[in-house]
Amino acid sequence: MAHSTHTLEKGAAKAAPAAAVYSIRRPRSATAKKMFPYLLVGPAVLYLLAITLYPGLFAMYQSLFVVKFVNWSWAGLGNYTRIIQDREFWAALANTAIIGGLSLSLQTIIAMTVAFYCYRDPFVRGWRIVFLMPMLFMPSAVAFIWKLAFNDGRVISDLLMSVGLVSNNVDWLSSVWLARLTLIVADVWQWTPFLFIIFVGALQGQDEEIEEAARLDGASWGSIFWNISLPMMRPIIVVAVTLRGIDITTMFTNVYIMTQGTPGGATETMSYFIYRQGFRMFNFGYASAASVLMLLITIVIAQTIVKRAFKSGKS
Amino acid sequence: MASVRKSGGDNLLVRYIILVSWAMVCLVPILWFLTIGFRPRTEIIVPEPIYWPTWSLDAWRLLVSDWPIALYLRNSILAVAGSVVIDLVLAIPAAFALARYEFKGREDIGFYILSTRMMAPAIVAVPIFFLFKNIGLLDSVWALMLIYAAINLSLVTWIIRSYMLDIPKELEDAARTDGAGDLTILWEIMIPACLPGIITAAVIAAIFAINEFLFTLLIASTSKAYTMSVALANFTGGSDGVIYNAIALVSFIAFAPILILVILIQKHLSRGLTMGAVKG
Repeated sequence: MAHSTHTLEKGAAKAAPAAAVYSIRRPRSATAKKMFPYLLVGPAVLYLLAITLYPGLFAMYQSLFVVKFVNWSWAGLGNYTRIIQDREFWAALANTAIIGGLSLSLQTIIAMTVAFYCYRDPFVRGWRIVFLMPMLFMPSAVAFIWKLAFNDGRVISDLLMSVGLVSNNVDWLSSVWLARLTLIVADVWQWTPFLFIIFVGALQGQDEEIEEAARLDGASWGSIFWNISLPMMRPIIVVAVTLRGIDITTMFTNVYIMTQGTPGGATETMSYFIYRQGFRMFNFGYASAASVLMLLITIVIAQTIVKRAFKSGKS
Repeated sequence: MASVRKSGGDNLLVRYIILVSWAMVCLVPILWFLTIGFRPRTEIIVPEPIYWPTWSLDAWRLLVSDWPIALYLRNSILAVAGSVVIDLVLAIPAAFALARYEFKGREDIGFYILSTRMMAPAIVAVPIFFLFKNIGLLDSVWALMLIYAAINLSLVTWIIRSYMLDIPKELEDAARTDGAGDLTILWEIMIPACLPGIITAAVIAAIFAINEFLFTLLIASTSKAYTMSVALANFTGGSDGVIYNAIALVSFIAFAPILILVILIQKHLSRGLTMGAVKG
């Protein structure tokens, strides 16, 4: 705090001589003044429009065609009527929800438990760095770590065999739930730190005097957590879990490297479905239709859950 | 105070069992993967896992001789650094406007910027591919730079906006009565005062850019524009399968600088990761 005030003073002191130069300038007109904030925010907004609105419109347009390399033939709403009857599309949507939902719940529970047990520990700074590490690996590398551990190197099977949980090698890609489990493990391992670091920060920032007072009244650590900390953290939890939840729905890298959707599409997520339709099967019109549908879902979620989460987070 | 610290978690044994177990879950795969980087290929993809390998520098030799690792590094650094610069140039003025000016549509513009973060990369993957194809930027580091900048712009803007909101208005008012113009205030007061926020935003944007996978996969079709993240996925040698020891080495080359950067901004990390929504 002391440090930042210092910088502030320096900033103010430096501003004074420069101000003299600006005061000779003629005062700006009222319109110029009104336009100024738009000029500031304009470049960023234009950049984002170019990379979201343009592609969004392009996808909508392309989704009305059957695209075979350079040939675009008009299909009207054909891609959409096909897609809503496509079992693979609904499976991808369901997989995304199942894998994402389980993964997000596990991450939230683990992150909260670990944060609860370490936030007043004398070594909390050390724990924070250790628990953060998985998040700092490139996601593609993490996918390979778990691909090797589960499939190619058989390490997990071997460890499970040595403690007697399974009797022979497990083929993780042979069953729907085992394959999903490998994706969940990889995601939980890499991203629990995201929630942990936010939760532990919130707990550490909590007023110690309230805790102390409750302790003196004989409250147990657990009851302080349930009755005081958790309700106070609610807005923070909502924001953190919302952000993580959004990222989980975009899961692609792990699927691409670890399972490629096997067995029988049971691990294909929405992102992988779009990728496969577009860049493996070259059904660009069809992939665009799927993109548009996913965009609609995103907009609905953003307008409802996210808007509310960020409003409550700020207060 | 001391009593709170000592009795925390009520049962010390339970507390340390949980913390040590989770620490092992975090660290053991990393350490094991590190040993993968220093063992010969014959000891990686095997029917029976080998826990005590013969040490070797095979992977390192292979990386240097068979793969243009320096080029991947250069691509990563160039694309990531360039994208962060673009982000800061666009985001700082935008954040200033959102934090300090009353104007029509401010809330909506702010939320629009935020909402671009919610968009799954796959949604725009096909159109972006065609866009870059049409302007002849496929397989180019410049395209990656532009994409990474777009992915992180919302995050950078919101983080910096959050730090600017914390700067006391009096400071600005004082300068304004001295006749300072808007841009002077931004440059001489706001930027120095929210420097920690700017650095945090830059570090987090850099990490997300280093990690980016889907767009890089689509845009970089040859090793000319491969970044480390996507180069990894191509370390396969035909019949030899995935070359895990090289993958492990490259992933640690990227891990080390990220770890250092993150430790430097540790205090600001949770605020940065929540785009400024959580202070603490």
